[in-house]
Amino acid sequence: MTRFYLFLLNEFKLARTAIPIHMVAILQPSILFLFLSFILVHPTFKVNVSQPLMDEGHVLVEAMEQVGSPIGADYIDPIIVDSKELGDLRQIITVKERDGVPTAVQQYGLIDSNQVKNLRNRLTAAALHLWNAELKGRALSIKEHTWLPYDAPYTVYFGMALLPMAAFVAAAIIGGVLTAQDFELKTTLEYRLSPVSPVLILGARLVRLVLSSLLSACMLLVVAGLVTGFWPGNIWRLGGVLLTIAIMASCMGIILGLLFRSTIPAYISGLSLALAGWIFGGGFALASGFGGVYERISRLTPNAHAVELCFPAFYRVEIGNPLRSALVLIVFSVISLSLLFFTYRWRVTKQAY
Amino acid sequence: MAEDGSTGLLSYRSVNVSERKNSMESVINVKSATRRFGTLVAVNGLSFEVKRGELFGLLGPNGAGKTTTINLITGMLRKDAGEIWVLGRDPKTDARAVRECIGLVPQETNVYADLSALDNMWHHAALYCKDLSGVKERIKELLVLVNLWERRREPVRTYSGGMKRRLALARALLHDPEIILFDEPTTGVDVQGKHVLWDHIKEQQAQGKTFVVSTNDMAEADVLCDRLVIIDHGTAIALDTPENLKAALGRDIVTMRTTPIVEDAEALFAGLGIQAVKRPESGQLRFEVTNAETLVGELVSRVTASHHLESIRIARPSLDDVFLHHTGRALRE
Repeated sequence: MTRFYLFLLNEFKLARTAIPIHMVAILQPSILFLFLSFILVHPTFKVNVSQPLMDEGHVLVEAMEQVGSPIGADYIDPIIVDSKELGDLRQIITVKERDGVPTAVQQYGLIDSNQVKNLRNRLTAAALHLWNAELKGRALSIKEHTWLPYDAPYTVYFGMALLPMAAFVAAAIIGGVLTAQDFELKTTLEYRLSPVSPVLILGARLVRLVLSSLLSACMLLVVAGLVTGFWPGNIWRLGGVLLTIAIMASCMGIILGLLFRSTIPAYISGLSLALAGWIFGGGFALASGFGGVYERISRLTPNAHAVELCFPAFYRVEIGNPLRSALVLIVFSVISLSLLFFTYRWRVTKQAY
Repeated sequence: MAEDGSTGLLSYRSVNVSERKNSMESVINVKSATRRFGTLVAVNGLSFEVKRGELFGLLGPNGAGKTTTINLITGMLRKDAGEIWVLGRDPKTDARAVRECIGLVPQETNVYADLSALDNMWHHAALYCKDLSGVKERIKELLVLVNLWERRREPVRTYSGGMKRRLALARALLHDPEIILFDEPTTGVDVQGKHVLWDHIKEQQAQGKTFVVSTNDMAEADVLCDRLVIIDHGTAIALDTPENLKAALGRDIVTMRTTPIVEDAEALFAGLGIQAVKRPESGQLRFEVTNAETLVGELVSRVTASHHLESIRIARPSLDDVFLHHTGRALRE
């Protein structure tokens, strides 16, 4: 036990050899969440509307202000501007008379199909308000029902889906860099000649990486909770899921370091693996929500299963097949551990080559 | 000081030097070892044995196969042919046991530069020491021994090259191995640092450790080694004590520079018994002759009769001369 404690202590001391890497790896998911939740996944669009010269223009602005999400968040925030002040590339809505009919003309700079789709959906909702006002008794009413017990801002999902990535990226990057560094400093030779079992040596590195990984995920959990006001219900389940991801990521990180034996490729590949897992593994929406090929690809990543298992902790409802997802994560972890010991033996302790 | 006269936990076996030197017990046996890397034969039928308590040298130019030989002894490399025994064990099949009784100081100092000497020593202790009790005191004793105790908490990156090598030596001694393999002990170390390191090695040898030192530094080999094997292209070309190797040449080395160069030295110095004529540099003539100091007048008068003598040097053979004698080129080439 003393020997294991010494290895573990050394693993933590090695943080001194790559302080910026540790900071990036551990803080990155929280910073990414803050950045993207404020800029990219904010529920409200600010829309430039030309100073209305017609009554219909004022009515459109009022209708836009009434469009909101089921939980009351504003969807459109019309900004009244003088169209002459805007450059050619800016997006603006102007109400003009065309062939004697008041027409809302929307002009775009660079056409971003996703943004156009989003604006179109929301403007359609605004148009519905106007239409219903005209239809009076024959007004069309749309009721939104979520299949979840309660609705939550998209940032909650976004933060939740980032958790497995946070657990993955810290261990993958730090593990890769520390292991590659051992080759660069030639300290691998110390391990190669040591009569001590690799289980102790790798065990200490794994424990240290798993702790770094869980620290990164905890930080994200706190940041996301403070931003969204939503806190997970079943923290033990969440912890169990993140633990399996952390084990997998720690193994993958060390394996990448063993394979590349150079810090920069190990860092880049660890980061790429984490990002790919996040994007394809339900980072922006549940894999089951897409179906088809995308879902099949998604289910190859541990993230997709982790997100499905984390889901009830935030939304209080089970989705998918939790037992299958748990089994997949356990199998992935066991495979990762086996691969790690195989690669370590191949690259480090192989006695004679 | 302890009652038995030892200095505490560092209870090295105090071996009488003459007893050690007389001991015929081999701790390392290399018999016709061969190792190839593709078409390159790095070690070619190399044979030698190292006796207990001996300071044995592997001398040769870069690429001669010294580091490969060390790696074969540690079991890090597999031999293609021959036999290697370390304390009666095969490093390939009994790697764990062999590694417990050897300490390796590699050519490039492999320490965690951002950690302190203490941190590096503790890490090594976890990797190599069978019994961790008393390690704290042992680390202190070794760091004091190599004059690093005062700077034990400073990051190793702030150390000089010599200090790093001393730390590497202290680390290799930590688990009290019987054999220390020291690859290029003083590469990149200044002259003063070299002497300090040599003193430490000698001190440890006096305590009963067996050292195998690989070097391409003739002075180092001359000062340090009890016996040495000169290796070239993976083959042993001479094996004996430095004194015997030099004495075996039996002749003095004469080096002269003339204008114009002496074209036919054998004819010019006929009857004087010169041998092994070489031209190591342009304008330089080098040959071996018995009792050069008695012939110096004759040598000078013959050469000045037809040439302008710029310089003449008569020297006892060095290990470089031994290498040159056997290979036809200088060790530095």
